[in-house]
Amino acid sequence: MKDTELCRSLEIEITILDTWIEHRWLVPEERDGARQFHDSDLARARLIQDLIGPMGVNEDGVDVAMQLLDQIHGLRGRLGLLMQAIRSQDEEVQRRILALIDEEH
Amino acid sequence: MSRSPYEVLEVSKNATQKDIQSAYRKLAKKLHPDLNPGDKQAEEKFKAVSAAYALLGDEEKRGKYDRGEIDETGAETPPRQYYRDYASAGDTAGRYESAHSFSDFGDTDDIFSSFFSQRGRRQQSGRGRDAHFSMEIDFLEAANGAKKQINLPDGPPLDLTIPPGTRDGQTLRLRGKGEPGFNGGTAGDALIEISVRPHPFYRQDGDDVRYDVPISLSEAVLGGKIRVPTLDGAVNVTIPANSNTGKTLRLKGKGLHRKAGGHGDAYVTLQVVLPQAPDPDLTAFVEGWETGKAHNPRRHMGG
Repeated sequence: MKDTELCRSLEIEITILDTWIEHRWLVPEERDGARQFHDSDLARARLIQDLIGPMGVNEDGVDVAMQLLDQIHGLRGRLGLLMQAIRSQDEEVQRRILALIDEEH
Repeated sequence: MSRSPYEVLEVSKNATQKDIQSAYRKLAKKLHPDLNPGDKQAEEKFKAVSAAYALLGDEEKRGKYDRGEIDETGAETPPRQYYRDYASAGDTAGRYESAHSFSDFGDTDDIFSSFFSQRGRRQQSGRGRDAHFSMEIDFLEAANGAKKQINLPDGPPLDLTIPPGTRDGQTLRLRGKGEPGFNGGTAGDALIEISVRPHPFYRQDGDDVRYDVPISLSEAVLGGKIRVPTLDGAVNVTIPANSNTGKTLRLKGKGLHRKAGGHGDAYVTLQVVLPQAPDPDLTAFVEGWETGKAHNPRRHMGG
């Protein structure tokens, strides 16, 4: 969707969207010089609105929250791939890995 | 039997609107699905808390609920797609999630090192450093937005758009206008800290703006339409007859741009002002005005 459409869905002015993009809270795709937003960007923008509005998080707080969330999703993605790789091993290998993790505790 | 919205928000039935808001904030921060990416239950709980707040956070709806005019489900809201649904499904195409901070999970010789640091998949490149500047702007420029130029010690001047509703101490970011990157990396950003000069009569109060407006004795006694300045131009305001000094009128939506959209309000406090030069007609009238002589506005002070 275009930025005007995104702003309409969120009921915000375009200058607010601009500041969110300046903060890199949103990173739209650029196509032929125009900003393109996906449904995922809309969902992300709704999260930003929740943080700023009802949760009362200030600008610096949103910066921190978004950075940590992006790290968590990066980590979850990597961890998911690792789990897939482990699941594709023989049961014996899976058991040995689990035993090693349990030992660490 | 579903729980009452008061039970969901863990507040008593006679909680103030403020209590309800802070209870909601506390729970929302704990339960928001995007802050609990892997917890399926968080979504259900957050929905319940949001629905309860939608009802109790609105004084009018809360009143209707208390009087039994509506039940705890209130109005239906369409189901919402949370950001975590996209991020988990990998729909963000690597634009947001970051894996830079996990490189310590493997030694450099480790066969897994590239898995966590993503080294070997993508050429290491560095983003340029951010450049910091500061700038002073007028109150009205901050309130209504403006176009400014910053002169740099080296290089061409930068055009800076001040968005409407910019606050004192806010930092604006010009993407890619900092120091150049290396190895094909992107340039850093220019960060401009804004300080807002105070205005002779507008005072900022959160998203609202407050100021005094002088009115003449005739306007105070008889009421009528007066022109009142606002951040984006003068408007006509009707003041009621017998409007005293200190009476405050609210001009809805005439305050500052809110970060989350919309505007604050303007609060205008009236100040009754006598004519500059003494007026013989007025003096003669007041001399013969018995009620005026009997009026003691300092009675509550023991005067």
